[in-house]
Amino acid sequence: MKRILLGTLFTVVSLNAMAEAPGGPNCGWGNMLFEGQRGTPAHFLASTTNGTSGNATFGMTSGTNGCSTKASLTYGGKSWFAMNGMMNELSEDMAMGKGEALTTYAVVLGVAPEDRTYFESVTHQHFNQIFSSADVTAETVHSNTLAVLKSDPRLAKYATEA
Amino acid sequence: MLKRLAYLALCACAPVHAAPALDEGRIQQLASTPYWIALGHYETAKLGGWRSYVDDTRFFLAEDGAHHPDQELRATVQALYAPASLGDKHAQCVFPARTRWLKEQLGLTDLPQPDCQEFKTWYTSIDPHSAALIFPAAYLNSPSSMFGHTLLRIDQSTTHSDDTTLLSYAINFGAYIEGSDNSILYAWKGLMGGYPGLFALMPYQEKLSEYRSLENRDLWEYKLDLTPQETGRMVEHVWELKQIQFDYFFFDENCSYRLLELLQVARPSLDLTSQFPLTAIPTDTVKAVRQSGLVASVNYRPSRERELLARAEPLAPHEKQQVLAVSADTAQLQSPAFTALPRERQALVQDAAYRLERYRANGQERDPGQATRSFELLRAINRNPPPALDIERPGLPEDGHDSRTWQLGVGTREDRAYAEYGLRMAYHDLNDNAYGFPLGAQIEILQLKVRQYEGNDWQVQRLDLATIRSLTPRNALLKPWSWQVTGGLERVPGKHDDEVLVSHVNGGAGGTWQLADGLLGFALGTVRVEHHNDFAEFISPAAGFNGGLLWRNGLGNMTLEAKGDFFTNGEVRRSVSLNQQWEISRNLGLRLSASREFSHLATAQNEVMLELKWYHY
Repeated sequence: MKRILLGTLFTVVSLNAMAEAPGGPNCGWGNMLFEGQRGTPAHFLASTTNGTSGNATFGMTSGTNGCSTKASLTYGGKSWFAMNGMMNELSEDMAMGKGEALTTYAVVLGVAPEDRTYFESVTHQHFNQIFSSADVTAETVHSNTLAVLKSDPRLAKYATEA
Repeated sequence: MLKRLAYLALCACAPVHAAPALDEGRIQQLASTPYWIALGHYETAKLGGWRSYVDDTRFFLAEDGAHHPDQELRATVQALYAPASLGDKHAQCVFPARTRWLKEQLGLTDLPQPDCQEFKTWYTSIDPHSAALIFPAAYLNSPSSMFGHTLLRIDQSTTHSDDTTLLSYAINFGAYIEGSDNSILYAWKGLMGGYPGLFALMPYQEKLSEYRSLENRDLWEYKLDLTPQETGRMVEHVWELKQIQFDYFFFDENCSYRLLELLQVARPSLDLTSQFPLTAIPTDTVKAVRQSGLVASVNYRPSRERELLARAEPLAPHEKQQVLAVSADTAQLQSPAFTALPRERQALVQDAAYRLERYRANGQERDPGQATRSFELLRAINRNPPPALDIERPGLPEDGHDSRTWQLGVGTREDRAYAEYGLRMAYHDLNDNAYGFPLGAQIEILQLKVRQYEGNDWQVQRLDLATIRSLTPRNALLKPWSWQVTGGLERVPGKHDDEVLVSHVNGGAGGTWQLADGLLGFALGTVRVEHHNDFAEFISPAAGFNGGLLWRNGLGNMTLEAKGDFFTNGEVRRSVSLNQQWEISRNLGLRLSASREFSHLATAQNEVMLELKWYHY
């Protein structure tokens, strides 16, 4: 009874139903700037509980939380899908020309350590081409990046794995 | 159950490999070693014997394995010899940590070799090499996060050389919540053990966004000096806990306690859990891990909110206006007011505007207009990047004062002298020793104060169940609400100048403003319900105010407060009070309190007290 009462009084923050999105249900977190990622609504509850909600996650063979692994592209041993959850961070880092997500992107693409700083400056310069609109999807970002790499003599070798 | 039957059936019918006949003494001896106890998450039961924290039959192979480590051990050895054709369902695949250990201890060289495809794939993709303890610190505005949380990060061998912690995995233990309970119901059910606890493994990056962006909590990363082998042992054991339900209790059998158990599985010589018989507050568990010498280095990740505030901090008022204007409408990037700014100031303004936009988008559904604005700002940032943010690392949370507080005070109320004895189970109030805590945050759980007046006249002075205050300053860019809530028993003025013990619940909401560096001013409207024996009605409601100053000075924190409660029955109760803390050492403080109370029921009362606070776990 108490539970019902409290529940009625305080349903202000509730878990919104999640829409299907690329990658599958419950794939990814956070507020997304770019299309193609999940726009997860306020997940107040789960975040205050330290808990898991919805699907208890565990089978993480793909490197993603509940994300579909179909058609995952693998670079340097890492699934491309691992980047899917950091599109916002990646766009910010690339706009500024440095940052953890951009470094991670270089690693995922298999860029050798000695070429990473150069990779960061090239992608920074071609930010407009890689993040071509506010509605760009993760897949488009990926193919745009490969296109940029292809046209750069030093980085072209990292675009061939596609 | 079925699985167990399958084992039994297969063992009985097709004993390809025969389990060795084990000596009973050896079994008893092995079953009582700390490592086996840790693997089974056993504790000594209240009435003697054993009980496991695991509340899930799938975790036990023996009929009553939850209460009998020895039976479980015997059943496990049996199951290890089941035919290899069981594949992923073979006990060796389901319990890799048990398997490894028993193999070593008993020298089991003749085991069948099932192909544990699922486990192998999983383990290889995690590729454990080292680990870090992650501590998202408390967030001022979220009550249930105030205690903080801990999780583990598992890094691969290349993680540190490549700087790719974003690709690491997080091991999280949390309550498993179905449906849409809100945070208040959560706290209630969490306390009462209403949720099962589960381990989950997820990309660390996900946890990062959750805490840094959605929740705006700072994050502390303590890299542990576990060897690759020790880390691997821990991950193997986590596999055994896949989808296994634990009892979850907010105070003791919580996230932090479970992680300590995992660390003990990684390095059997550690003894961490025994330090937390009653409560396991995440900061304290971080302390324990540090004291055990496990921490190799500490890294700090500020929350998105802190980054935004740090970016806006050097801006002048007119530049902050530009931040608001530009974030509302990116066309303002071309306005004369913006373009008149020096180029490097423009870089700061548009970066602050971008961060503000993202902050506002936090937790919202994706809004195309907002996304377009953010994208335009990103393009502007791309043309004119700001310098990197340099945020000073705040005090280490685990170096703050201990959680439990013993209090000894002497004072006078009007002309009567008294001594006061107090104990607070947790955690921190506005005046307490400030290092490692945010200014303006208070959370207290279970505080009892007993007074002894002259003539050996004893009385319960107050019993607070919980007191939470969150005074977050409002500024040009962010406008958070301040709020507070309290409940318990306390002494208030009654008839004949008596102090009457009343039960009460009260709360308030309002605003806090940063008046100067280290000086906050706050004003809240409050409501209160009270059961007071001198009142005619059983429950008396009141409305009122609570305002004052919080000043961080050279001695410690000082508060100056005024409060008023206007009861519907005509009683008006007001008070002014002053509290100054003198921070003697990390775990010792001296507090001077003075107050004057006014009531329609009694004459005004003055009280002065000097109180020693000893923070001691």
